[in-house]
Amino acid sequence: MKKILAVLAAATALMAGPAPAQTYPTKQVTVIVPFAAGGPTDIVARIMADYFAKALGQQFVVENVAGAGGTTGTLRTAQSTPDGYTIMMGHMGTHGAAPALYPNLKYDPTKDFEPIGLAAGTPIIIVARKDFPAANLKEFIARAKNPDVRLSQAHAGVGSVSHSTCTMLSTQLGTKHRVVAYRGTGPALNDLVGGQVDYMCDQIVNLVEQIKAGAIKAYAIATPERSPALPDVPTTKEAGLPDYQVSAWNALFAPKGTPKEIVAKLNDTYKKALADAATRKRLLDLGSVLPDAGGQTPESLQKLVQTEVARWNPILKGQATQ
Amino acid sequence: MSVQTPITMRPPVAPVPLRQDFLGGLFVTAVAVLAYWLAADLPAGTLGGMGPGMMPKALALLLGALGLTLLFGSLWHFGERIRRWSIRGPVFVFGAMIAFGLTVRPLGLVVAGPLAMMIGALASDEVRWGETIVSVALTSAFCVGLFKLALGLPIPLAPWLIGY
Amino acid sequence: MLDLIGHLGLGFSTAFSPTNLGLCFLGCLVGTLIGVLPGVGPIATIAMLLPLTFKVDPTGALIMLAGIYYGAQYGGSTTAILVNIPGEATAVVTTLDGHQMARKGQAGIALGIAAISSFIAGSIATLVVAAVGAPLTKLALLFGPAEYFGLMVLGLGLAVVLAQGSVLKAVIMVVFGLVLSTVGTDLETGDERLTLGFAALSDGIDFAVLAMGVFGIAEVLRNIENPEARGVVKGAIGRLLPSAADLRRSLGPILRGTGLGAALGILPGNGAVLAPFASYTLEKKLADEPSRFGLGAIEGVAGPEAANNAGAQTAFIPLLTLGIPPNAVMALMVGAMTIHGVIPGPLVMTRNAPLFWGMVASMWIGNLMLLIINLPLVGVWVRLLKVPYRLLYNIILLFCCIGIYSVNNNPADVFFTAVFGGVGYVLIKLGLEPAPMLLGFVLGRLMEEKLRQALALSDGSFMTFVERPLSAGLIVCALVVMLIAILPAVTRSREKVFQE
Repeated sequence: MKKILAVLAAATALMAGPAPAQTYPTKQVTVIVPFAAGGPTDIVARIMADYFAKALGQQFVVENVAGAGGTTGTLRTAQSTPDGYTIMMGHMGTHGAAPALYPNLKYDPTKDFEPIGLAAGTPIIIVARKDFPAANLKEFIARAKNPDVRLSQAHAGVGSVSHSTCTMLSTQLGTKHRVVAYRGTGPALNDLVGGQVDYMCDQIVNLVEQIKAGAIKAYAIATPERSPALPDVPTTKEAGLPDYQVSAWNALFAPKGTPKEIVAKLNDTYKKALADAATRKRLLDLGSVLPDAGGQTPESLQKLVQTEVARWNPILKGQATQ
Repeated sequence: MSVQTPITMRPPVAPVPLRQDFLGGLFVTAVAVLAYWLAADLPAGTLGGMGPGMMPKALALLLGALGLTLLFGSLWHFGERIRRWSIRGPVFVFGAMIAFGLTVRPLGLVVAGPLAMMIGALASDEVRWGETIVSVALTSAFCVGLFKLALGLPIPLAPWLIGY
Repeated sequence: MLDLIGHLGLGFSTAFSPTNLGLCFLGCLVGTLIGVLPGVGPIATIAMLLPLTFKVDPTGALIMLAGIYYGAQYGGSTTAILVNIPGEATAVVTTLDGHQMARKGQAGIALGIAAISSFIAGSIATLVVAAVGAPLTKLALLFGPAEYFGLMVLGLGLAVVLAQGSVLKAVIMVVFGLVLSTVGTDLETGDERLTLGFAALSDGIDFAVLAMGVFGIAEVLRNIENPEARGVVKGAIGRLLPSAADLRRSLGPILRGTGLGAALGILPGNGAVLAPFASYTLEKKLADEPSRFGLGAIEGVAGPEAANNAGAQTAFIPLLTLGIPPNAVMALMVGAMTIHGVIPGPLVMTRNAPLFWGMVASMWIGNLMLLIINLPLVGVWVRLLKVPYRLLYNIILLFCCIGIYSVNNNPADVFFTAVFGGVGYVLIKLGLEPAPMLLGFVLGRLMEEKLRQALALSDGSFMTFVERPLSAGLIVCALVVMLIAILPAVTRSREKVFQE
């Protein structure tokens, strides 16, 4: 009987409230990934979770809550107890494009979260089928603007990174194309390699090997600097489309109201993760761009979310109806 | 001793409302109407440039036509009589699943598992409580061991007791 | 040829290292054990077990993952045979005759022939991958949206042929499945279609949710209410393994199934789902007594199982040679490879030769291990059916709940499974078969996508389907198949079968 009482007492103590920051974490932490296992966001989350578990001595369990373009898992995070034991790996879609795409969105990316830190940016790259008649981005743009030619653009479904970024490209070029929607990057890439469609935009990690092998050709990478993974591919600035700057970023968020000390501790661990050689290498191998010290604060992430929400709104509004 | 009723060679013709195909046609047509109604607001576009409503509406119309064919066909074909329904099985099986869904996140696997099985046990009229309790205990322990301890799935175990 | 031997030599020397052999075995074993749980298909199994591979080096991890994949694929067939619950689309066909065999006390034979045909198909398909993987890739790239649409139409024709009863009812169920496939967010415009406002439906109905509901839960309900229909081994179990006569009878179906599966598996966009259906249809057409199909014909298990496994194997070709995943399972494999720092692409074959050929060799070893693991397990599974059904159904129910929940960690999926269980129960009562519905569901989504892609590329002209020879040929085939199914003479003979 005494033993049972002791267990109950321990249980009540655990239930009593969030543990103080000094001892946090005292139990396993759930990292919600709002996409299916195996996707780019999931991979970044698992690499980070691996480091966090080692550094903080508790399990960081990745829970994939896929659905509705990532908004299902994001909403669940926003609604979970803000005690530091539920955090999430958010992404350009869930914390940037979602308000424009989903008018009935039940969370606000700018208000319902405590930003922890920007994990990695995955550059966007413009690619075309290998026999597309344009040698560089300038020729591509000229062809895209030629009224006698109708290009076909592949994307991985409304709400996907490739859809958002391709729409942004069309908006900037002011061109109308045959838009071909696929379910996921795989089928879209297949038809690009097979020469069925003309071009697409997507994250570098999805395309890098096909570019290296010459199965498709890359015109430009939408970052300020070239990627070490593809040193021959010029930036959009070099290639003549300086305004096209976009990357699919992943960042850690906690629900609003998570104690400041715990957010600080998580941010601290996150900074150490980015400084850790092994973790850094794993992220860089994906073609990711890692933030510098100025970009590693919760404040800079909050700012990023605000600018992204504002930026995607005019581009994507009206893409999804109702 | 009761006299056995003589077995007729041909089963009696079922009245129309009890014929399997009649009800089947009705069910399918109802599904088609529901689907069409739900898709009503979606723009169909043109055959060349299909909108989101084209496929659902076209398929719903096709399904409706097929359902009506089955329904009217049953008036001529006698067909099979509808099979006996039961209430007990579905009520408790669905009850068990709903109970599991409602409790698994707030109360965890250690509550949701046994609860679902206890409700599920009521679905059969052969239930014997002694063996049921043993089987519930063993299966729940096995599930906790397998899914949680061995595989480390992110399914809550007992949030109210150990926090996850 | 010399190249091939050299490559395979490299592969086997990699795969035969004690560690890799152990990992392969472990992967197959755990994959089988998890995959056999009702409601847990290969995707769920790989997703669940992915973290287990993190501690190992990339080659070992991929070998283990591949083992998990085959194991889960095979485990899914076991569940389909024993309790009539398909873990994924390709196991639907196995339920048709496999579960009927189990009901007749031949569960052991059905499981045995499934293991043996999977092994034979796997071995041949491994050779195909090693020898002609790269050239075949070019063939797969000929398949654009228009060709794909033709293939899907052909698949729908097969769905009608494989049905047991009246053609009208089969067509109804296919169309029902097509309607269900339109649920979810529209890919082109982002409109929510037929979702009733449920967020859980915005990505469409999950296959596992639908299959578990209309097959698994409905089957449980049917068995609870009439104990005599619960053929799940009452009385003698019979032989545990197939006899020589069984094997002789199955050899043709196995080889034909392997051919179909290997060919369809290479196609991008999940061509492998069609393979078991195509094999079943073919065997039914070739059989002396087609009427045995659906009542426990061993050819109806052997052919589709071989097709299923061969397709599962050759589906690796686009992944390994182009770095493009042809289906959801392979997409997960891409993620797994990426986590291990190997981004799949056209160059993996040359730059990571030991990894590539080691994986190919481990495919064959994996298939051998599956056979070794599963033949003894047949006895265990069959004995499991001796558990009184009044206890067994409840255990199945809990596994279904946990399995479905784990797919997306979302309780809403459990509720929708219950709803589809209700639909399945109604369908049973109304004498409507769910198998054509599932095929319609799987093909419908692809068909609409491919149709709209093809039309977007052709500026809305339907001539694209006729102008492209491959797609025209496929559509003609589809029309022929449907004509055969709908011809009145066929209808009459089918109705006779139904009444027997």
